[in-house]
Amino acid sequence: MTDGRPVDPAQLVAAMAAGDSGSPLSDLYALYASTVLALLMKMLGSRSEAEEILQEVFVELWRRAPQYDSSRGSVVAWIVTVARSRALDALRARSRRHGDKQLHFSDRHALGTESGRPDVLVSSTRWHQALRQAFEQLGEDQRAVLELSYFLGMSHDQIAQTLNLPVGTVKSRILAGMRALRTMLPIIHRSMVA
Amino acid sequence: MSDEKERAELLAALHAAGAASEEDEKELEALIEADPSLVAVVKDFQDSIMALASSFEPLQTSPKTLGQIQKKIAREKGGFLTKLRSWLSEL
Repeated sequence: MTDGRPVDPAQLVAAMAAGDSGSPLSDLYALYASTVLALLMKMLGSRSEAEEILQEVFVELWRRAPQYDSSRGSVVAWIVTVARSRALDALRARSRRHGDKQLHFSDRHALGTESGRPDVLVSSTRWHQALRQAFEQLGEDQRAVLELSYFLGMSHDQIAQTLNLPVGTVKSRILAGMRALRTMLPIIHRSMVA
Repeated sequence: MSDEKERAELLAALHAAGAASEEDEKELEALIEADPSLVAVVKDFQDSIMALASSFEPLQTSPKTLGQIQKKIAREKGGFLTKLRSWLSEL
């Protein structure tokens, strides 16, 4: 990326798979590390832990590069899957250390704007702004169940216990939330093109 | 929408959201086997949740982090994990 040309993330992964841990890894890191760190911060709530897991994520990406299959999803989807999985491992380990029966859900997991946070923010893109605005339109009930499932790794039974709701209600809220998200994405795409 | 399609969509949503139980996963797999067009439903939901996951304000990483990652990888190179990686690449 140093010469200013756009980089194909799939080619970077292919180069990593061939054993190159130099510039392909650096370029992949430059493209995605700040987004991955934001996701890890959202899930873990601790900057130092998020930075530590960020390292593990990129080492794992390098390790798993030979297994990446573009027909099964985009590079960013692959990276997010690895990052989420490592963050959930860290949350479970934390839960075991502290003897918690349940992972705690707090305001730090709430979706929304983060202006005014003390962290150093990379300049926000129109894409991120459009996405956040769209997600803010999700019903609070739908956001809550999606956050608990996706960002805290809870099953529908655990969510039902945490929110004191029938399992059927949790499932129907997840389905409604996912349908709403699915509807929003094409609208965001169109607004970015316009 | 038929009850069967509604059920398949629910399972796909639970799977993408990470809330599916083992039984749900098995049921979804069986439904996909019977109707491969369900893969597109799952993928649509996955794309949506991925967008959600990558929508947060990007954060500046520490300047030291990349160097630390490269050091860890350098330590692994030539070791057992490199052999494992090479084996995995042949799968």
